Amino acid sequence: MAHIEEHKETQIAQTEKQNYVMLNLGKTPDYGMPAFIQVVKRSLSLELLKGLGVTFREMINGLFRGKMHTTKYPFEKLPIAPRYRAIHEMLRLLESGHYRCIGCGLCEKICISNCIAMETRYDENQRKEVSEYTINFGRCIFCGYCAEVCPELAIVHGGRYETAGEQRAGFSLFEDMLTPIDKLKEQKEFAGFGSVSPNADENIKKTPLAY
Amino acid sequence: MDALMIGTIIKILIILLIVSAIAGFGTYIERKVLAFMQRRLGPMHVGPFGLLQIAADGIKLFTKEDIIPQNANKFIFSLAPTITAATAFIAMAALPLFPTFTIPEALPLIGGAIVPSVIADINIGILFILGTMAAGLYGPLLAGMAQSNKWGILGSARTAVQFLSYEVVTGLSVLAPIMLVGSLSLIDFNDAQIGGIGSWLIWQQPVAFILFLIAGFAETNRTPFDLLEHEAEIISGYVTEYSGLRWGMFFIGEYTNMVTISIIAAVVFCGGYNDIGFVSGWLLFILKVVFFFFLMLWVRAAWPHVRPDQMMWLCWKVLMPLAVVNVVITGIIIML
Amino acid sequence: MEEIENNGQISLTIDGKVCVSKEGEYILNIARANGIFIPAICYLTRCSPTLACRICLVEADGKRVYSCNTKAKDGMNVVVSNEEILEERRAIMQVYDVNHPLQCGVCDQSGSCELQNYTLELGVDEQPYKIADVKRESSNWSSVLHYDPALCIVCERCVTVCKDMIGDSALTTGPREGEGLDKDLKETMPKDAYAMWNKLQKSIIVPSNDTDKTNCSDCGECLSVCPVGALVSRDFMYTSNAWELQKIPATCAHCSSGCQIYYEVKPTAIANRDKKIYRVTNEWNYVSLCGAGRFGYDFENKTATKDQKALKLAIKAIQKADAIRFNSIITNEEALMLQSLKEKLGVKLINSDAKAFKDFMSHYANAKGSNLSDGNIRTMMQESDFIISVGSALRHDNPNVRYLFNNIQKLNKGAGLYFHPVGDKLIESLGKNVACITNNINSEEAVLYWILDNFADKDKLPKEVNDYLSSLSTISKKIVTETIMEDVVEVVVDEESGESKEVTKKVPKKLEREIEVKESKLLEMFNAPSDFADILEKFLAKKENFSLVVGEDLYFHPRSKNLAILVALIESSTPFNVAIIPPKTNSLGVSLICDLDDECSGYVVGYNEAGDFRLSALGNGDLDMPALNQQEGTLTNMHKIVVPTNAALSYDGYTLNDILNELGFGERLTIDWTKKLPAKKGFESREFDSLPNGYNNDGSENRGYSLKSQKTKVTQPLPEQITLGDVSGEVVAYRCNPQRQFNEFTATAHQIFEPFALYVSEEKATQLGKKVKIDLDGTKFVLEVKVDDRMSGDIVKLPDFKHSFEIYKFFGQNRFKSITIGKA
Repeated sequence: MAHIEEHKETQIAQTEKQNYVMLNLGKTPDYGMPAFIQVVKRSLSLELLKGLGVTFREMINGLFRGKMHTTKYPFEKLPIAPRYRAIHEMLRLLESGHYRCIGCGLCEKICISNCIAMETRYDENQRKEVSEYTINFGRCIFCGYCAEVCPELAIVHGGRYETAGEQRAGFSLFEDMLTPIDKLKEQKEFAGFGSVSPNADENIKKTPLAY
Repeated sequence: MDALMIGTIIKILIILLIVSAIAGFGTYIERKVLAFMQRRLGPMHVGPFGLLQIAADGIKLFTKEDIIPQNANKFIFSLAPTITAATAFIAMAALPLFPTFTIPEALPLIGGAIVPSVIADINIGILFILGTMAAGLYGPLLAGMAQSNKWGILGSARTAVQFLSYEVVTGLSVLAPIMLVGSLSLIDFNDAQIGGIGSWLIWQQPVAFILFLIAGFAETNRTPFDLLEHEAEIISGYVTEYSGLRWGMFFIGEYTNMVTISIIAAVVFCGGYNDIGFVSGWLLFILKVVFFFFLMLWVRAAWPHVRPDQMMWLCWKVLMPLAVVNVVITGIIIML
Repeated sequence: MEEIENNGQISLTIDGKVCVSKEGEYILNIARANGIFIPAICYLTRCSPTLACRICLVEADGKRVYSCNTKAKDGMNVVVSNEEILEERRAIMQVYDVNHPLQCGVCDQSGSCELQNYTLELGVDEQPYKIADVKRESSNWSSVLHYDPALCIVCERCVTVCKDMIGDSALTTGPREGEGLDKDLKETMPKDAYAMWNKLQKSIIVPSNDTDKTNCSDCGECLSVCPVGALVSRDFMYTSNAWELQKIPATCAHCSSGCQIYYEVKPTAIANRDKKIYRVTNEWNYVSLCGAGRFGYDFENKTATKDQKALKLAIKAIQKADAIRFNSIITNEEALMLQSLKEKLGVKLINSDAKAFKDFMSHYANAKGSNLSDGNIRTMMQESDFIISVGSALRHDNPNVRYLFNNIQKLNKGAGLYFHPVGDKLIESLGKNVACITNNINSEEAVLYWILDNFADKDKLPKEVNDYLSSLSTISKKIVTETIMEDVVEVVVDEESGESKEVTKKVPKKLEREIEVKESKLLEMFNAPSDFADILEKFLAKKENFSLVVGEDLYFHPRSKNLAILVALIESSTPFNVAIIPPKTNSLGVSLICDLDDECSGYVVGYNEAGDFRLSALGNGDLDMPALNQQEGTLTNMHKIVVPTNAALSYDGYTLNDILNELGFGERLTIDWTKKLPAKKGFESREFDSLPNGYNNDGSENRGYSLKSQKTKVTQPLPEQITLGDVSGEVVAYRCNPQRQFNEFTATAHQIFEPFALYVSEEKATQLGKKVKIDLDGTKFVLEVKVDDRMSGDIVKLPDFKHSFEIYKFFGQNRFKSITIGKA
């Protein structure tokens, strides 16, 4: 996995270190003598061999110095960006373990591909309960509006991006997306759409609460 | 049927099988080498280190649907790949592949037989080889024209231009070594360089060696002269409409030609299969061939390909004059 | 600008727009009628101003007034908002938002919440106010109402509508015991916001009977007017959001009022995409529903399929049938189809309710010269100040007429007389000027003669009638001492809100005077109370606009012909506007369209009724038919309007039109019959799709088209003299359905709980026990005894909404019948 960590280091942030230099190659000769002279010059200075040198060096680097780029994809996976919008997850409250969804239906309303459907009911504790919840991933375009509009940070995007299917419609139920109760400790907050911005505190107006 | 005939047939079979295998194996090596040079892993998942990838590809090629386009000339379309593959193997006949040896007495039946280094040691060996390889250009030419496809036609046009041009350079570049050795037989070339590294013809004919290599790349349709089937320009050129086994035969032909050129370069310029000190000629010969083969892959990884006009310019305005000058200078030196 | 002024019309300018209105109208109503938006939370268009929210503050001629209770003056210039008013309104919304739970996500009102809307509209983005909250527990008020006081903003709309519209007055404000406001706020915060908050902190909505359950008709009008999610239906709660529901404009199918409603539908479940009705809503500013209309919506034929075998049998049955028995809970189109069956196949049409009504109406038409009465219930609601109801159990027969009765008391400050043999405590409670006269059974002739005697222009009456009336009365002079209540107006300063109010107080005053006493035998005949003359005198003071509503008792009456003639005579000779209430949903339409026959024997096909072969929309017949929420069509309501109704739910079975198509004289679609409705009966030849179904901004109805009254030949029959025919016996039963239960369809709805039982007053219930065995001319069955605590008297009510009991048949041409009751 070492090279995966290294891969992260060679992301765009590292661009500055690569020191690109623009070569001054002069004017390209069109024909005749100047072109001939250029060929002779380049041939005699063995420029072609430099190219061979570079590729050979890279081969040595790759083979013997552990600088191979390849990630063996289905067996090894690169970590995806925290704001990436893949298959949805339903989060739980960390304290009680109860799911966060309150059944307000905003995700259903805002969904532009109309792929979310939910049913709610009045439960025995006089609370609104989500009795059915499905997302049709065959229609979902992963726009992230549902996560953005969710007032409870209940529906978020997760990291499961392998979504190839054999059918057009692919329904996912509430329980499939819900964090398993035994994995509650591993539940992570989503950093993308709908999450609390780092400067959220600055944007909140003070409400008097004197008691 | 005498023993010579039987021995020849056996050798033909062995060479046919081994070289075919090498051609297949060559594709694996090529993919691996190119991958390594780009710091990739190449085929990894079929067999250990992806070794069985060749088998997998072979199965794929053999079982693929054989498609002949509706408006193609079916006979020529079917014939063309055979020409490429056949000429490539025929060229092998005059190539010395190993030192002459005697089969140990211990073996029954054939024990004690002397095995010559070549299938047919004909006195015009190199001429024969160049001739058959040149005949091989009918393969791409006919394939491109028979398939009724504009990319194919462009491919065959390029074949005609490229192969014909570089045939001249190949011929002229080996002319100087021939003048030095005074024979067309490759056995004689080998024998002429028996005296260690110093006696290699490369030192006497460096220009001829470089010219031969460049021409060899062009003849075998390798980068930077892979214009016949350059994907970015003409899809796949003359093999556009080919699939399955027929397509595979073009490849076998190409890789066989690569081996052939490597062997010629090793025999003509780099001391052939002669021993050097305690190092066996067998091993050295294989190493030399492998090096030239590797060089072809290496070049492919490093260099971009040239435009057709640049290639023609290089052939007629640079390489051919250089070859002629080289022949003249060689002649003068011999006369002196 | 030229002043427009004629017959009580005034013109005023609101935000630069010239509006014309009648005198005495509130500014807010004028603005609403002209499409000008003035924010208002507590005001309901048809009700009296509450002045709870104070957000409707406007500037009229430079003075700040509340547009909901300020009457417009001619030439007035009204500015809806300026900077100070906006500041005031914003402060009011901020106060409303103090401690309002932020649980919009689970609130049923979210998305259609007026608190959300006005908070946004007025740009409330910060909260400068605070106060400690008190714990308020949510509770169920009745079988349908759920109240969450935490969400309540005490706008009192529910209280107002219940009092002014419905008449139950089941809700009132109670003490909240909230913390008092900081005195400094009085100086620092806007005045109206402070006053509103001060009041808000002290009150909460509670049932008015000092218990935690409301004693009301369960009409649910309070939850429809609630601007927030405080009052919701127990059944609907948490099942759907407002934005998911698709509104289908329709007409309520349960009584002849034909109220405009919206069926709100969405798919039943994720797995079942068939539409389901989640609730019924109404344009509560313009129409009030009853409990059956609001909660009795799921009466659709759930199991209908295209059963070809049954269709073939149905066609055979109709071909050999002697008669088709049906009721009036069908559309005009279906009635026309049945009529065409009669015309083509010669089958008889039997319809108990419509037949009685049709007979009554034909006698009425003979006497009057036109086939419809002139009275308009909607106009009565706005203008009338004296109402008499004869022969209608208002609470049961037609809730909208009951609302009319109540409206006249509450909004028009009118008076009302309710003549009915069965005492009704609710009607008594509708106002101080209401008298319930428990007239003797079948003495309605005397009541109508009494109206003629008292109100008729004697010149317009035939001589025979005048003679008869004078023969019944004697006049004597008397000196009496009486106590009258005099109105004294005082100015009182409200200590809490610091504003002055005019309070009207009643002060008793004694005086002596000589009066002429007219004693009439009529009073005796209908069992008038002894002080009837005094009551009447008090009621009639300053009254100008008289209304008479007559109901089902008159059609099912041994003397119904005479009654019809008397009603026509009243209409022509007295100032009374007369409204005749059809007994069932579309009795008027059916009576106009169909030629009905008397009961007969033979092979009978029943349509939602008993028969040898049964077509039924109730799901229990031999061939399924669509219920009224599953089909398009028109209904003719008591307002004499032909209103369209739409299909809210899909229907997979055969319709009556399919049967007619099989017989060879159907139309392509059921609604193709709409334009074929008979023009000579007053219908118009209009396409169904061209019929509107809504309300205009000023509250006027824009629904369907009005029936044209048809001239008939006048035979001027003379009314006969009174023949009293009392029904007596051990127990007298009155054919009357329980409140919210109108027919077999409401009985299938899951939120209508009233069972098929014997409804009795409390005193009677103690005599009868829990269950009784009833003997109806030999047919015996056991019924539960249910207490209707708003009933009084000994008469019991026997429902007719289950066709299998054939109650109509037993009662015949009378709604009262002596029955034998034994212990079960």
